[in-house]
Amino acid sequence: MSWLALSFGQPLVLFGLAALPVIWWLLRATPPRPQDEIFPPLRILSRVLKREETPERSPWWLTLLRLLMAALVILALADPVVNPREKLPAKASALAVVMDNGWASAPDWDKRVATAARLIADAGDRSEPIILAFTAEKPNAEIGPFDAKTAEDRLRAAKPRPIPVDRASVYGRVAAAIHQFPGARLAILSDGLATKGDEAAFKAILNEDESGLVWAAPDSLTTLGLTVADNQPDAFAVTAVRAENDRGPRQATIGAFDTKGRRIADATLAFVTGASTATAKVPVPFELRNDFTSIAIDGQHQAGAVRVLDDSSRRRRVGLLSQADSNDLAQPLLSPLYYISRALRPFADLIEPKDQDLAKAIPELIDQKPAMIVMADIGTLPPSARQKLIGWLKDGGTLVRFAGPRLAAVTENDEELLPVPLRLGERSLGGALSWTKPQPVAKFPSIGPFSDLDAPQDVTVNRQVLAEPTPDLADHTWASLADGTPLVTGAKRGKGTLVLFHVTPEATWSNLPISGSFVEMLHRIASLSRNQGSITNGANETARSALPPYRMIAADGTLGPAAPDARPLERGKAAAPVTIENPPGLYGGEDGTIAHNLLGADAKLVPLERPATSLPVTEVAYALDRSRVLKGPFLLVALILMILDALAVLWLGGLFSRRPRPRKTGPASAAASLAALAIAGGLLMAASGHALADDSKPGDHAAIEAVSKTRIAYVVTGDKETDDVSRAGLLGLSRFLIEKTALEPGDPAGVNIAKDELSFYPLIYWPIDVKAAMPSEDAIARIDAYMKQGGTVLFDTRDQFTNGLDPNSVSPATERLRDILSNLNVPPLEPVPADHVLTKSFYILSEFPGRYDGGPLWVEASADTKSSADRPVRTGDGVSPILITGNDFAGAWAIDDNGNPMFPTVPDDPMQRIYAYRAGVNIMMYMLTGNYKSDQVHVPTLLERLGQ
Amino acid sequence: MARIGEATAPALTSDALARGRSQAALVPDLLVEARRVVNTVIAGWHGRRKRGIGENFWQFRPYVEGEPVSRIDWRRSARDDHTYIRDREWEAAHTVWLWADNSPSMLFKSANALVSKESRALVMVLALTELLSRSGERIAWPGLTDPFNARDGAERLAAHLMHAPNRPARPDLNAVRRFSDVVLVGDFLDTVEETQAWLEVLAGRGVRAHLVEVADPVEENFPYAGRTEFRDPETGEKLTAGRAEMLRDDYAGLYRARREELARWATRLGWSYTVNHTDRPASEALVRVHLALSADAGLAERAHA
Repeated sequence: MSWLALSFGQPLVLFGLAALPVIWWLLRATPPRPQDEIFPPLRILSRVLKREETPERSPWWLTLLRLLMAALVILALADPVVNPREKLPAKASALAVVMDNGWASAPDWDKRVATAARLIADAGDRSEPIILAFTAEKPNAEIGPFDAKTAEDRLRAAKPRPIPVDRASVYGRVAAAIHQFPGARLAILSDGLATKGDEAAFKAILNEDESGLVWAAPDSLTTLGLTVADNQPDAFAVTAVRAENDRGPRQATIGAFDTKGRRIADATLAFVTGASTATAKVPVPFELRNDFTSIAIDGQHQAGAVRVLDDSSRRRRVGLLSQADSNDLAQPLLSPLYYISRALRPFADLIEPKDQDLAKAIPELIDQKPAMIVMADIGTLPPSARQKLIGWLKDGGTLVRFAGPRLAAVTENDEELLPVPLRLGERSLGGALSWTKPQPVAKFPSIGPFSDLDAPQDVTVNRQVLAEPTPDLADHTWASLADGTPLVTGAKRGKGTLVLFHVTPEATWSNLPISGSFVEMLHRIASLSRNQGSITNGANETARSALPPYRMIAADGTLGPAAPDARPLERGKAAAPVTIENPPGLYGGEDGTIAHNLLGADAKLVPLERPATSLPVTEVAYALDRSRVLKGPFLLVALILMILDALAVLWLGGLFSRRPRPRKTGPASAAASLAALAIAGGLLMAASGHALADDSKPGDHAAIEAVSKTRIAYVVTGDKETDDVSRAGLLGLSRFLIEKTALEPGDPAGVNIAKDELSFYPLIYWPIDVKAAMPSEDAIARIDAYMKQGGTVLFDTRDQFTNGLDPNSVSPATERLRDILSNLNVPPLEPVPADHVLTKSFYILSEFPGRYDGGPLWVEASADTKSSADRPVRTGDGVSPILITGNDFAGAWAIDDNGNPMFPTVPDDPMQRIYAYRAGVNIMMYMLTGNYKSDQVHVPTLLERLGQ
Repeated sequence: MARIGEATAPALTSDALARGRSQAALVPDLLVEARRVVNTVIAGWHGRRKRGIGENFWQFRPYVEGEPVSRIDWRRSARDDHTYIRDREWEAAHTVWLWADNSPSMLFKSANALVSKESRALVMVLALTELLSRSGERIAWPGLTDPFNARDGAERLAAHLMHAPNRPARPDLNAVRRFSDVVLVGDFLDTVEETQAWLEVLAGRGVRAHLVEVADPVEENFPYAGRTEFRDPETGEKLTAGRAEMLRDDYAGLYRARREELARWATRLGWSYTVNHTDRPASEALVRVHLALSADAGLAERAHA
């Protein structure tokens, strides 16, 4: 029972559909039970209700829904299948599936797999063992027998290969395996293309004890293959072949791609009726043709429709000629051809004659039809060779000559083989007897092939051959020296090109051959040249080492990296077959590649005939399995309808509208609390996840302590006694400051001027101690920087008393001070003038005694400031960066733990200590307030102006 | 699905009495403002605005010869040369008829309501009884008691009610005399015409009636939805609505129209019409009835004139 591609496994169940009317009647008769309610104002309600017809029955749509549900269940029970597939009828002892997975199978591989999967599934249902073999796999690939699950997995894992099938060996293995199962069924899933040895293969595999043959072949062979891609002089010719039973007119588009896979040209391939080959020409300039890397037929996703091109279609053969001595070969760097061959080898095939004799060497080279012949310093040629060379040149060859002593020695001008007439001898530039200097290369002229190259800056030419100055010399000059003499000249000879480098090909006459420009120039010349025909016999190719796989053609026709089982291609052999170890593609490296293509020039696509056999044959077509069992979907829809029905019943019963609405606050507050919880959790996570960055550095604590209070610093001299006195003195001064002023300094800070940061302290007290070591350069530089940045150092030599009476005598401390100051940038000094701010900054002082009295306090001279009579204080900005005294301030200020003075003053005068403290206070105030006090002198004027 | 409404058992009168007294405790003493107090000799607390027998001062008037000397108010007379007599206001008692509907429809109680309608009606009546008894008014239940005056009027009325379980659905209002007040508590779910017909006798006698409609919120909101079968508790009649929510607006319109028409009719007659929902406290309605009973509602002058 099947219509609309729908069939039922159990059609009898469909008679259940006849019960639908009964179900319909039953459903109509039983409405849903109403909700029973007592309602006192019924009389009022009855007046309303009269207008509405009371539904005594279910609504029609509910009935329809339920009927549909019942119908669906009945249909589902009848086991419906859409697009049913035929099954193999009889049981066999085993199933042997032989599948072609060569290049021609790639486009519709999915269909082939689906077909094979159906066969395997059927065999699996009948629990037959399955032999599964692929004809383009490695010869040692396992073929089974497998169970259905394994066979299915292996089938899914199999891939089409970009290589021809090998039926003979695989069929033989399958035939051997099939012998174990008499009465096995054989399924051959071919790609429809005949290969050599097919007959023997079929004979081997088709046996009388098999129970049947399942034959699958493509309905029509639309495969196209590219057989020839030839870079002809005027165009790129591409020949394609099609299956021989494909006889109608047909067109295809081919595209040419460069190394990066960009499509750079295309052409149309037209098969005429009945012809199995067609040739398309890609008429693009040869520069563009040289960039072709692969050619592919559009829409043919298989390896046969792709042809890779190696450098042989664009690599020039370049013949090299020299009259080199054996001496040159021993010293390769002096060999005239060394740099040329190094420069040309990446993009050209170099041919060197076996014979040194030019009469034999030149014909030998020309026989190989080179694109270019380079002659390094060859003066005269044998006449026969010369004529041959001229003929080759006029036919389109490119002859590149290099100068040299031999060429320079040629007396007569060779018009055919020299682009410009030359002078006899060479010209030497620079040297002992010459005024000239080696000449650099001038900018390349706009004519010639080098016009877009940058002239080399580092190339100089010492010697050259000179061209005769003729009127057309400039037209032939492709490169010249800075003085205008030509370096490279070129001329057309017939179809060919003649080029002369006026220097030697090795680095004796110039350093041009060892510059990068040399490679560029040769490349330019080489790209101008064209091969003069192709060599058909590969015998001349020297045996070279194997080439590694570089870019392979995948089964779907794309170029990609090599598969792991691809092996290097042995060269030397004339034509290596395309096998799974040498899949088609490019072999070699970035410098040069060899194409290994699937189809030979004479390849034909012959359709495969089904072999004649006495076995019962079932022909199947490649198709995807479209059968779908609909039982599940039907039941699912019925289930959905049931849920809908339940919802509808509940809705009719008024469940949704009667349910009390949830209190707004409940869920909202719950949600809010949840959200709060989430946020809190997130914060917690964030807090724990991101530890606060700790940017503390060593010494931070000391720095914070130093700046959190104003502290007076003293220089730690290293002498404990001196340092203790300094500390005690500054402590005493701090006490006095706290007592008398608003300044409350912290504990005195001892600083090591070599290491500690000084900028925290407004004043550094430096007792000069002769016993201490002289501070280092670095330390003095730090002090210098400190003073420049606004700090003040109070030097105390403490030698006022010891200085004696001789005003010229110099104490050791003063000497030390002088030593120190000699390294410092000290401003001019003067004793504190009577009107200096220091004398008035807190107390009015006329002198600054310390433990000793009488020594002056030196400050930076403020000579340029004017002291006027009406001003008690001289004006001036800034604070003196240096104070020098000899009065031993610290000794006077020093107090012990009990607060008593440590040292008596000299002379022992209590007021002197008071004055010493006052001096310290004034100094500190001067440090902290600067010239503020001197501005205070304006106060009377300001007050007067304010009218007070 | 839970039903929205249910029929409850009749409220216990003793329970209703207790609740009624507690409700009454919330309300100040009720002295019925009688426009026309019946000329009864029974002393009550309703001043007649004329001199007579009573306790409250009414006026001083000059002594006229022939009157008993003992009536002279010497304290007033001593203030000038005349002699005065203190007149007292004539005070009389007022009769209030009280009735609560006890038909089966009153036993309805919905899920939202606090009590059944019957319970609410009984509580209201007994609370009013308590109030009126405190004020010394005469109270009566048509068809059950004659007017009586007692301090324990609520208890006595409750006792009467307990002994008369099968009361008629409509009271016999023929005993109600002129110038009485009648308080009728019920649901008034009959058609307006029917209600007017049996209340017409009161209107004709110049009795002031106070209609208190006890309504369940469900009856007004009609929250039913879906397929619902409605049953009348009185007649047992059934109605099935396919989608009850479709009827809501029409029904509510009719329901309110009935109430408004009845209220309009009552107002026109100078009666009061109070609606009490059973999901609201009884005291709300009690206060309103209290106001209606005690205030003259601007109609006193018309009645006097």
